Amino acid sequence: MRQSQSAVIERGAELEQVLETEPFETAWAGEARWYVQFLRPAPGSTVEMRVQISPDGINWIDHESVSAVQSEAVGLLSIPVERFGHWLRLRVEQKAGQESPLLRIYLELKE
Amino acid sequence: MSIDTASVAAGVREGMRSTDLRLSKYNPLSRILTFDDFNDGVHGWVELGGNYDGRGSLESLDRHFRDFRPPQLSNANFFDVGTHGGMTGTYSMKLATRRRPGHTSTAIRRLTMSGRGLLQIEAYVAWKVEANLGGGEEANSYGDITWDANSHPSEAQFGAFTVATDLCSEGVRYHNVMRFQNTDWDGHIVQKWMYPVVAEPTPHERFEGKHDYDTYTDFTAPDPDDWRYLSDVRQEACYNEVPTKINWHYVRFVVDTRTRSNVELQFNSDVYDLRDVPVPPYAEKYESLENLLNFYFSVRTLGPHRNFLFLDSVVISADW
Repeated sequence: MRQSQSAVIERGAELEQVLETEPFETAWAGEARWYVQFLRPAPGSTVEMRVQISPDGINWIDHESVSAVQSEAVGLLSIPVERFGHWLRLRVEQKAGQESPLLRIYLELKE
Repeated sequence: MSIDTASVAAGVREGMRSTDLRLSKYNPLSRILTFDDFNDGVHGWVELGGNYDGRGSLESLDRHFRDFRPPQLSNANFFDVGTHGGMTGTYSMKLATRRRPGHTSTAIRRLTMSGRGLLQIEAYVAWKVEANLGGGEEANSYGDITWDANSHPSEAQFGAFTVATDLCSEGVRYHNVMRFQNTDWDGHIVQKWMYPVVAEPTPHERFEGKHDYDTYTDFTAPDPDDWRYLSDVRQEACYNEVPTKINWHYVRFVVDTRTRSNVELQFNSDVYDLRDVPVPPYAEKYESLENLLNFYFSVRTLGPHRNFLFLDSVVISADW
C-alpha cells in the first residue's frame, strides 16, 4: 500500500497581494496535488497560482511543466504536480480586484 | 527451588531488545505501546488541531490554535551538504515554525490508557534553525553569538522545544510538560529545562469567556512567570556549530498515571528527578476524555526565523 499524507498548508490565510506558502518537504512523494479553496470569495478578482520547486527550501523557481493557474477567486480548484523534487510551495498572487479572499490550501502527497 | 518469573521475563525482554537493531537504542518499559519510525510514515503524529464548532468555522477556533503546521517527513535536505538523512534510514519527522516571533508548531499522538502506572516517551531529536543565505555583516551576529567558526548565530535563533502529555482519568485532566528553553526573546542563551506551574488554557475556557489569546501566544502556558527552571545549571548540548549539521539527542520522559505525577527526565547522559515537579490538574472535570493518553512535541521560535524540531523515531511504553 502506498504512503500518503494530506497537509493543511493554510487554514485561513488572508491574501494580501502575494502569499508564498511555507516550504514543505516532499522527497518521499511521487505525486502531489494542491487544492485551493476560497473560504471567503472575492468575485471580480483575478488570482494567479504558480507551483514552485526548490533544491534546498530556500531558493525557489517555478515548476517548468506546470502552467500558472488563474482563478476568479471563488470555489475550489486543484493543481496536479509530478516530478517536483524535494520541496514544494505555492505562490499565490492577486492580479486584479479590490477585495481580499480568504484561502484554505491543502497539499496532498502520495508515493 | 523457586524461579523469579518476573526477573526472567525482564531478562528475556532485555536480551531480545538489545539485539533488535532498531530498538536497542531505546530503553522502553515492559509494554511498548508505539514505535514510530518515520521511514514509513507519520504513525499518527498529526498537527495539533483546535476545537471548531458544529459548522467547522475558522472563527470558532482559538486564534493561537489555528496554525500549528503539518508535520513533514524530512530527508533533512540542506543547501550545503544535500541530504543529511535520519539517525536510521533517510527520513525523520520535522516540525517547522513560521518566521514569526512566538509561532509554535505542534504535532500530537492520540491514544487512550488501558491501565495505570508508569508511562514513558523516548525519542531521538535534533533542533535546528533554517539556514540563512546572504545579507550583510549583521547576519553574523544574533543575541549572544557572533560567528567565530565555532559558534554560529543560528544557535541563538532557536527558541524552545517541548515534550508533553495530555492525560485524563476519572475526569481529572492534566499535562506533564518538559521544555528545553534554548534562548530568551533577545537571543540570549538560556539552555535549561523548564516546566509550567499552571494548566494549559483550553478552548472550553475560551468558550466560557475566561481567555482569548492572540495568534502567537505560548499555548502551553502563556505567562512567562508561570514557568520554572528544573535547575539553574545550563544544560549543554550539541547544536554543532552550523544550522545544517544534525546530531541526534536522546530524550526520555517518564510520568506516573496512577499518581498523576512526573517521575524522571533523561537528556543524553543527564537524568533529572522530577518527583517534586508539580503537575497542575484542571479544577473542572472534563467530559469525553476518559483515559485520554496524548503526547505532543512542539517547537517555538522567538524571532523571525523558522525553527525546526527533527524526530528520528519515538517510542511510547508503559508498565501496565
